[in-house]
Amino acid sequence: MPNIYELANPVRFERLARPAIPWLAGATVILLGAGLYFSLFNSPADYQQSDSVRIMYVHVPAAWMALFTYTFLTMASAIGFVWKHPLADVAAKETAPIGAAFTLLALLTGALWGKPMWGAWWVWDARLTSVLILFFLYLGYIAVWRAFDDKARAARLAAILSFVGFVNIPIIKFSVDWWNSLHQPASVFRKGGPSIDPSMLTPLFLMAIAYTVFFAAALLQSMLNELAARRLTRLEAAETKTGSVLVES
Amino acid sequence: MTKKARRLYLAIGIVVFAAAAVGLTLTALKQSLTYFYMPSDVAALAERPATTIRLGGLVETGSVIYPKADDAAPEITFNVTDGEETIAVSYAGILPDLFREGQGVIVQGRFAPDGSLKADNVLAKHDENYMPKEVADALKEKGVWQQEGPAAQ
Amino acid sequence: MRALSAIILRDLKLAFRAGGGSMQAVSFFAIVIVLFALAIGPDIPLISKIASPLLWACALLSTLISLDQIYRADREDGSLDVIVATSEELVVTCVAKAAAHWLSTGLPLILATPALAILLNLEAGAYGPLILSLLIGTPGLSLIGAFAAALTVSLPRASLLISIIVSPLFVPILIFGSGAATAGAGGDPQFMSNLMLLGASTLFAAIFAPLASAAALRSNLD
Repeated sequence: MPNIYELANPVRFERLARPAIPWLAGATVILLGAGLYFSLFNSPADYQQSDSVRIMYVHVPAAWMALFTYTFLTMASAIGFVWKHPLADVAAKETAPIGAAFTLLALLTGALWGKPMWGAWWVWDARLTSVLILFFLYLGYIAVWRAFDDKARAARLAAILSFVGFVNIPIIKFSVDWWNSLHQPASVFRKGGPSIDPSMLTPLFLMAIAYTVFFAAALLQSMLNELAARRLTRLEAAETKTGSVLVES
Repeated sequence: MTKKARRLYLAIGIVVFAAAAVGLTLTALKQSLTYFYMPSDVAALAERPATTIRLGGLVETGSVIYPKADDAAPEITFNVTDGEETIAVSYAGILPDLFREGQGVIVQGRFAPDGSLKADNVLAKHDENYMPKEVADALKEKGVWQQEGPAAQ
Repeated sequence: MRALSAIILRDLKLAFRAGGGSMQAVSFFAIVIVLFALAIGPDIPLISKIASPLLWACALLSTLISLDQIYRADREDGSLDVIVATSEELVVTCVAKAAAHWLSTGLPLILATPALAILLNLEAGAYGPLILSLLIGTPGLSLIGAFAAALTVSLPRASLLISIIVSPLFVPILIFGSGAATAGAGGDPQFMSNLMLLGASTLFAAIFAPLASAAALRSNLD
């Protein structure tokens, strides 16, 4: 078992990540297939929502992932900020677009569920608003990374922004308890155990695991891409220097 | 001022500000900043608000009157209740799938002169319970059905 | 303490003298309000109903366009390096910069609000809650905005990036501020809880924004 410092070495990271990706991608396909089969065909209709409940199996895990990826992003940023480790910065940077995609998926599927069930695509209640803010926080975080040429500086500044934005995470989680929102309160992670029938938990958890494995696969692949891109930039810089070509900067 | 003293003042300032902020938040949340009013909240007000409000509660069982096909202005009327107070609501428009008697709803509209609420919009509120129909029926049969409490969840 | 009042005084002089940002923000505020009123048309009851939220949103936008100025001039003439290097506590200096921004932008915006509210036919009872909510909320906008300005100070042009960063962070202040202004006018019991949450938002901003600003300035200047 390699220790954390060896893993944090980019070369070693690449050696371990590259072979893992096909396995993770394969697992994603299988889990997602099984999850969708259970969600769409092999689970009961709800006593009130009938078949519209099936949107929940796509929506709820996406919302969990939106929160989880932001928390992951902040933790990776903190590690990069304190120990100045480039690999943690790369992980934080590459988490953001995936997290934004999960947030968007949660917002869109929520709207699709809201129209038939609530009677509105969108309402400005505390839960929906705070998740929309999360989406904009992801966009701001990505924009900061893109704005700065100096990667080390971009990493530090984006990390600071992610710390500030983290206040939104508990607000999202507890918004349905603090305010009388239209959105229903937590069904799974709550006091007294889940209020979802076990037959409906199977597809829900299958989808959640599928999303998590997909996140791991996508994150590793985009981290490898970013590391390759950075190596290319360094090589080009080195070439320019050794070729003693003067470039106006 | 020495560095130590400055840091101490800074820390004290932060703690005081944080305590004030948390105190304000908790007090405000105790007063329940709401997306909607409940019928007893409206009853507690000195007068019916003149502006558009959101009213939340359960659709009183047996109170829903659907419009007849030949009505000139088809309007559905029902009562919204929280177990203590009840407010009559009239609405002309498309109802969400989840609308039914005993279901939590949020109604948006203005009060008519007769004290009933003329709704522009009816939203159905879903609770956190998910189960197949058979399970719900079985629970009702066994008499352990607890989900239709007085408050709209 | 002397250094801090010197920073605030210098920033105020720069803001209020010719070419300063203070007049620009207030002019922008007035123009946007007029544009809204013209776009809505002659429906006076509608305008008067949405006057409070409109004034709140436009005050926020006017703050937004003035943020880029906070650290940029200091950065360009090199005084920012001196300020960062000589500050005893950079966090406190960041509070002073935000305070100077509020005095030169937030306060003039609030002073201009009653005049613009007349244009929008704001009800007489709504002035008090509106001004009170602006007084409590706009310092929070300056504090958060100064953080975004500090984050982007080493970029040549940043106003667009600042808007993207700052808008989601402004949302609680806008919701509670506008909510308090509207509820207060209608005698709504939610006035106090909105006002308290607005105060809490500004206090939280006063704690976290200067810490984050100081860290951002250090990262930008090394």
